Amino acid sequence: MDSSVHLDQIVMRFGDFTAVSRTDLKIESGEFFSFLGPSGCGKTTILNMVSGFLSPTEGAIRIGGEDMRNVPANKRPTSMIFQNLALFPLMTVAENIEFGLEVRGVARSERKKVSDRLLNLVALPDSGKKKVAELSGGQKQRIAIARALAVEPRVLLLDEPLSALDLKLRQHMRTELKEIQRKTGITFIYITHDQGEALTMSDRVAVMSAGKLQQVADPMTLYRYPQTVFAASFVGENNKLTGKVSSVEDDRVSLDCGPLGQLTGTTRQSLKVGEEACLFVRPEYLRRCEADTPQSLRMTINELNFEGSFVMMDARLHANQQGVRVQLNTDAYMADLTPGAEVSFNYQPSEAIVVGGAHV
Amino acid sequence: MFKQLCNRFGTPISVGIAALLLVWLIALVILPQLLMVDYSFRPNLLPSEIGGPKDSYSLVNYVTLFNNKIHLGIFFKTIWSSVMVTALTLVVSYPLAFYLAKVATPKQAALCLLLLIIPFWINEILRTFSWYIILAYNGPLNAMLQALGLIDRPLRFLSGNGGVMVGMVYAYILFMIFPLYNALESLDANQIRAARNLGASWAKTHLRIIIPHAKPGIATGCIMTFMLAAGSYAVPALLGSPGSRWFTQIIYNWFFEGGNWNQGAAYAFLLLILCIGFIGLVMKVFKVGLGDIAK
Amino acid sequence: MSSQSLLKWGIRAYLTLFFIYLFIPLIIMSTATFNDSRFPTIMPWKGFTLKWFDALWQDEGMWQALGNSVWVAAGVMIVALPIGVACALFLSTVEGKGKTFVYSLMMSPLLTPGVIIGISTLIFWKGLDVTGGIFLTVIAQTTFIAAYIMLMVLARLQRFDRTLEQAALSLGASHWQIFRRIMLPYLKPAIISAAVIAFLQSFENYNTTLFVKGYDTTLTVYIASKVRTGLTPAVNALGLVMISITVLLAIAYEVKRRREEAANSANHDA
Repeated sequence: MDSSVHLDQIVMRFGDFTAVSRTDLKIESGEFFSFLGPSGCGKTTILNMVSGFLSPTEGAIRIGGEDMRNVPANKRPTSMIFQNLALFPLMTVAENIEFGLEVRGVARSERKKVSDRLLNLVALPDSGKKKVAELSGGQKQRIAIARALAVEPRVLLLDEPLSALDLKLRQHMRTELKEIQRKTGITFIYITHDQGEALTMSDRVAVMSAGKLQQVADPMTLYRYPQTVFAASFVGENNKLTGKVSSVEDDRVSLDCGPLGQLTGTTRQSLKVGEEACLFVRPEYLRRCEADTPQSLRMTINELNFEGSFVMMDARLHANQQGVRVQLNTDAYMADLTPGAEVSFNYQPSEAIVVGGAHV
Repeated sequence: MFKQLCNRFGTPISVGIAALLLVWLIALVILPQLLMVDYSFRPNLLPSEIGGPKDSYSLVNYVTLFNNKIHLGIFFKTIWSSVMVTALTLVVSYPLAFYLAKVATPKQAALCLLLLIIPFWINEILRTFSWYIILAYNGPLNAMLQALGLIDRPLRFLSGNGGVMVGMVYAYILFMIFPLYNALESLDANQIRAARNLGASWAKTHLRIIIPHAKPGIATGCIMTFMLAAGSYAVPALLGSPGSRWFTQIIYNWFFEGGNWNQGAAYAFLLLILCIGFIGLVMKVFKVGLGDIAK
Repeated sequence: MSSQSLLKWGIRAYLTLFFIYLFIPLIIMSTATFNDSRFPTIMPWKGFTLKWFDALWQDEGMWQALGNSVWVAAGVMIVALPIGVACALFLSTVEGKGKTFVYSLMMSPLLTPGVIIGISTLIFWKGLDVTGGIFLTVIAQTTFIAAYIMLMVLARLQRFDRTLEQAALSLGASHWQIFRRIMLPYLKPAIISAAVIAFLQSFENYNTTLFVKGYDTTLTVYIASKVRTGLTPAVNALGLVMISITVLLAIAYEVKRRREEAANSANHDA
């Protein structure tokens, strides 16, 4: 069955405020697709449009190729898992799961079969008779998933469903969600501001900011080759160095970074000489080097934070006092790195990404 | 507004909600009041004269009141006594409401609230009647006071306003305590501790911290009590004497003894204006809005 | 004595006086019931008797009035509950200009003296050729009791989690199904207590009823007329019956509450 979701030239305005700028995006059938962005970026608005709680000001939502404009929320082939889960507190666990079937007029015995099967799927057999209040946070989470799956949606919409859980459980549930998605083959649209969640679970991620799609890519590409200043800054940790393009040679770009000198990186954009651009180097790509080697940055160490598998170093660039972060492998940690020490780090041009523009 | 309803409940239920709301507000709340006002500006006519030349708007019913010194006196006495009842009820209620909200343990408070409610589940008439027994000339209160040697002869509690006021405070105290209690309960106990900690006396703490916080509750309680007192019929009828009549009794007489509904409507409208005026005054003095009332 | 303990004693004395004030009328009234005197009093005490209960039992007017009161209260419950619930739903949904105005209108019956509600209802329905009686009493009482119900239901509604409606919608429920399966069950406790309050309010209403009752006397009006005209201790007997019922209900409520509390804490321990 085609369960693709097509956001066909949609725009959403609330009065003068544009919550979602013109967006055209096709989410494939059976894909685990995430919208990643800070709160207020418009990602929840998109989810509400797909679910039918909001109608786009312009454009159309198509699910499996079918125009949803005149299909109300309760008739759409979607179901949603809410941030607060929204389990019905006055019903038992089984009644919650069976609710969607009950309102469709499915016979009791049939409903019971479905809820038993789903309770097994979410590894909570025999808890059908329990009250919602008797469940733990993680159990509630699973019941919410089971309830949403019971109506056999073609698209499952998830609105930051893990945000209320503690860290351990959250990480565990990531694996489980991914597993359920693989088993059921349903299209998952996942909303989050947590990049860890987006990167680990998704087939593709859309980074959003201020109502605009910044970049749509698979997690690896998104991490390695961010295409906008926002995507580069928001996804993962990044050091941003600004300058003007001084030379372009194939995908190699050199920037004139003022007091920092000439720095070279890689780009996937066509940049022109003289254009403003940013060079991004991730903390893990900076390596210890001798002073004045190519792409080297001279810095003074501020602080060293032991994070377990690595040491995160906060430093200040000599040339312009800008703060930078460097990730050091614990085994490569060197004794002469102490706060106040002056050191040089450099990177490989292939590991630094140059993105046009100067601001987010 | 209807669109918002439809979005949430769908059209059929929204139509039902709107219909119930409109029938209530229009047929039960607004139109009867308007018709009463309309009545009050028309002369009292025989059925055959209605619609005839004499059936025109005039202030004659209001002029009657201002020309009747006795009725006017009763009108002002009703205002004054109702204000007194309100003030007295506030004074009696405040310590208890404060105790319930901030001093008592939850268990004590629950018990007290239950005890408070019990007398109020019993008919207002019966409660008032029991005060009639107590305050009677040969009643237990006089007997007790005499036995204690506080008075030589029994007092006539029921011939003045005293009996009426005692009965009213008793009858309406719950309408003062609950708004006060609700308002005081929402006060963060740490604010009181902080004020005490900063060296404020108990009086000062109440004056500067607690009472300002309880303002909406005080306003609600005062409005309810005044309205109930000014509009009371049962208590003055039972505990008052012919010499201490209440304005509502005059209104009743116009309707059912004088048979002049137009005149009665005018008096009733004045009573309504009085209550609206009091509500406006209290809201202004306490700087609260209608939204704060009855929370 | 320190100021702390002085305060403590002050509170105790105040509470004692207050609750004496609150309960002495009930006690006196109950006691007077058993006094073998022609007048409703405890002094002088003329000996113990139960004859006033008998007199009450024999009082046909009382039974008639009681019947009327029950009919009126039932009528008010049936008419006012849907109105109150509808208005609460309206207020919890609608935002924007005009809401304050509508809210003020809805609150106005609570801030209007009962006699005026009675009078205006009487005048309004006279124009439609409806005179005082049980029907008009139901209408007049509904005018303000609906507002009480609205407030009680609204208080619960304000704590309602609206994502539950969205969740039900996303699971395919129709508006009607959401109303029946989600909204009404949630409101049930508030609706039940509002119904009880409506019944009690109606039962004990005097000021409004007085004007619209016509020839159909309710129990409260009947008691008032008894008290005003033929003073008889039978009224005390009625009072005692009411007090007993109330106290029994209060005890039942308290016991139920404690049981639930115990059950809850047991649940939490489990």
